Amino acid sequence: MTAQARPLVEAKEASSRKSRDQWLLKYSTLLALFLLFAGFALTVDRFLTASNLLNIVQQISMLTIVGAGLTFGFAAREMDLSVGYTVGLSGILVPLMLISGVPLPIALLGAVAAGFAVGAINSMLVTLIGIPSLIATLATGSILYGINFMSTGGRAIYGGLPDGFLFLGQGQILGIPVLAYAMVLFVLVAWFLMERTIFGRYIYAVGGNLKAAELSGVNGRFYRSAALVVCSLFAAMAGALLAARLGSGQPNAGERYLLDGLATVFIGMTMIRPGTATVTGTFFGALFIGVINNGLNLVGMDTYVQSIVKGLIILVAVAIVSRTTKLKLL
Amino acid sequence: MTVRLADIVMQYPGTRALDHVDVDFLFSEVHGLIGENGAGKTTLVSILGGSKQPTSGTIAIAGVETVLASAGDALAKGIAHVSQEGSLVPGLSAAQNILLGDEPRLGLGIIDTRALRRRAAELLDRWFPQVAIDLDAAVDTLPMADQKVIEIVRALRGEIRLLILDEPTATLPAREKENLWRIIRSLPPRGVGVVLVSHFLSEVKALSDRITVLRDGRHVTTLPSAEVSEAQLVDFMLQRAGKTAVAIGENGDGARAAGETVMEIADWHVGGVRVDRFAIRAGEIVGLIGLTGAGHFGFARSLYTGEGFLSGSTVFAGQPLARPDARSMKARGVAFIPDHRMENSLIGEWSVRENLAMVHPHAGAHAGVLSMGLEEKAARAAMALFNVKAHSPEQRIQDLSGGNKQKVSIGKWLYGAPERYRLMIFVEPTEGVDIGAKREIHRHIHRLAAEGTAIIVASSDLMEVADIADRVVPFVQGQAARALSRAEFSESRFIAAMAGDPK
Repeated sequence: MTAQARPLVEAKEASSRKSRDQWLLKYSTLLALFLLFAGFALTVDRFLTASNLLNIVQQISMLTIVGAGLTFGFAAREMDLSVGYTVGLSGILVPLMLISGVPLPIALLGAVAAGFAVGAINSMLVTLIGIPSLIATLATGSILYGINFMSTGGRAIYGGLPDGFLFLGQGQILGIPVLAYAMVLFVLVAWFLMERTIFGRYIYAVGGNLKAAELSGVNGRFYRSAALVVCSLFAAMAGALLAARLGSGQPNAGERYLLDGLATVFIGMTMIRPGTATVTGTFFGALFIGVINNGLNLVGMDTYVQSIVKGLIILVAVAIVSRTTKLKLL
Repeated sequence: MTVRLADIVMQYPGTRALDHVDVDFLFSEVHGLIGENGAGKTTLVSILGGSKQPTSGTIAIAGVETVLASAGDALAKGIAHVSQEGSLVPGLSAAQNILLGDEPRLGLGIIDTRALRRRAAELLDRWFPQVAIDLDAAVDTLPMADQKVIEIVRALRGEIRLLILDEPTATLPAREKENLWRIIRSLPPRGVGVVLVSHFLSEVKALSDRITVLRDGRHVTTLPSAEVSEAQLVDFMLQRAGKTAVAIGENGDGARAAGETVMEIADWHVGGVRVDRFAIRAGEIVGLIGLTGAGHFGFARSLYTGEGFLSGSTVFAGQPLARPDARSMKARGVAFIPDHRMENSLIGEWSVRENLAMVHPHAGAHAGVLSMGLEEKAARAAMALFNVKAHSPEQRIQDLSGGNKQKVSIGKWLYGAPERYRLMIFVEPTEGVDIGAKREIHRHIHRLAAEGTAIIVASSDLMEVADIADRVVPFVQGQAARALSRAEFSESRFIAAMAGDPK
């Protein structure tokens, strides 16, 4: 009896230790974010100014939208590596349409259509043909990269963009950038879909245990596809906003959104429900990345150093999550 | 000459896989090793093959006590283990596979392909001169039986005295089995003993000189194959200590009024299972029994999922349908409660509430929008109905006991109290569940049947089936046998039927 009792006690201690670790984990990322913020505020002169904080918000708004889309993919356990080029695709498609005289609302619908098309192709490759999403989207990303450069000859598209469009990326309402409103809108929509609808519940279900979901009568193929379509849709919307902010369509402007977007999700997975991608977590993840990018910029670190720092942060975040939870990425 | 395992105990945290087992294996016999899943066969052959170390007990080869520290150590001492899954490298030729890890070299690590080809041919010819296999063909293009032969030849590369074959024919089509049987029989006369682990009783009985039966980690008996019938073997495998007859429950006396036919199938061929005719009526509880691998679980599952469906006709509630699939069967009013709940039914990181809401989330939502209040209420109702013991609906499912998990696995189909199901299919409804929860689950199954739901229970627990079923369909090697009515229920009858005794 004692032989059996001891492992039980140990198991209990281990599980309480584990739950304490998880509690620490949930808040340690927020604490790190706070310390980072405070550190920059104390050491960098121009960091804690209203204009710089608004600047951060503007900088992270597109990233947050991409990250929110990726959160759907992660929740369904599908990875979308083509988001960066989808950002680029819609970032040149919308200016191209506008310059050729298409009205703004139609051009934005064009971005939606492009996002939907990319998502539909990705999800067909994944759920109908059965290619793992990691590989399928790596390939479609490469194809999109080529299309982006071919269609522009590698040059930026600018001049003649309507003011209404530029207002989306550069304007302010009540002293707050329009981009911030857009970000909040997308985050709220994503949060609502994921946390408060059957649609979101089933996306989490197919990611949590595909077999159990399908045996419960859930259409696994549909929800895995839907998650990939949302990834592309959100990326396409971010691309349109990015073009408005830059005042031009640039074929390579979207590329950094892949790695940064993945980083936001990984950082987000360390909090809220550790091991699970959540919209709230991703939002804080984007804030984290935004503060680091901005702070390092102000200190004068070049982008190569930033790249190294971000790589290390992703490693730390994933290491924490995979050591404390049963991380299931692929 | 023998390998003798004496007083072997294998203790895992919480369970004892082997409990003071004594067996000896001769180098001049085929020794069958049988038992239901969980009886300890795999653990025993792992110890014999050196890949697991017993908690206590001794191993003696030819009378000399020894330790088998690893699979390599066992191999060096003359014991080879050919596992069930197969260990061939696809893409490499048969010859390369035979000499994998022991390739003749020209020096500098360069393989001497001609010597390799020659040595592989010599090995094959020495052991099985009657077998013709194209040694240059990629091994995965060969027939399954030839692949097994290649694995066996590779295992016999060294000085082997005892060969463990784990389910060697499980993946083989029937016509290829006989060739392999001949090969197995040819080994003992040449001084290589065989330990044959198999679920196919007729095969074990036909090939073995002696048979050892394990049950619940204990050695039941070892006896000459010629002195025992298949039915007796089944009896040894299943019989529970101190119980000689199935206690017929107090509940059913066949008085339940069976209603109209709910599901009827004919000439089904699904996976490895063939069923000529099966029908179930409203309010009826049909039990499906069989030995491991007999096909009753797969059949029960395919009625809902259509998995492995090849051909056959199906009529559900009077309407013909092409083949079942989970979503359309759910829409028709079928519930499926699978075995292995953590793998097939529940999401471990989710709360009890979220798991309960998986099948009918609409019960806790307005127009697709979830209401936490409604969900909690519906979850509490389902938890109360099934007496689920949890701190709150928010507790994570993986932290509950087996019985409570199983209640959630069933309860999620009744969450939000939808109209009654036409058919509910249970596989191992009380797997790993304590006796109290088991009684409660049985009560629910009876209640649901009394309300007019047709119920199928596929179970390896004969007592359970005898207790709750109105009718039992035994499965034998992928075929449904004649159904037994309640009046015919008895443990000996069940066992005879599972062994394929046509009485």
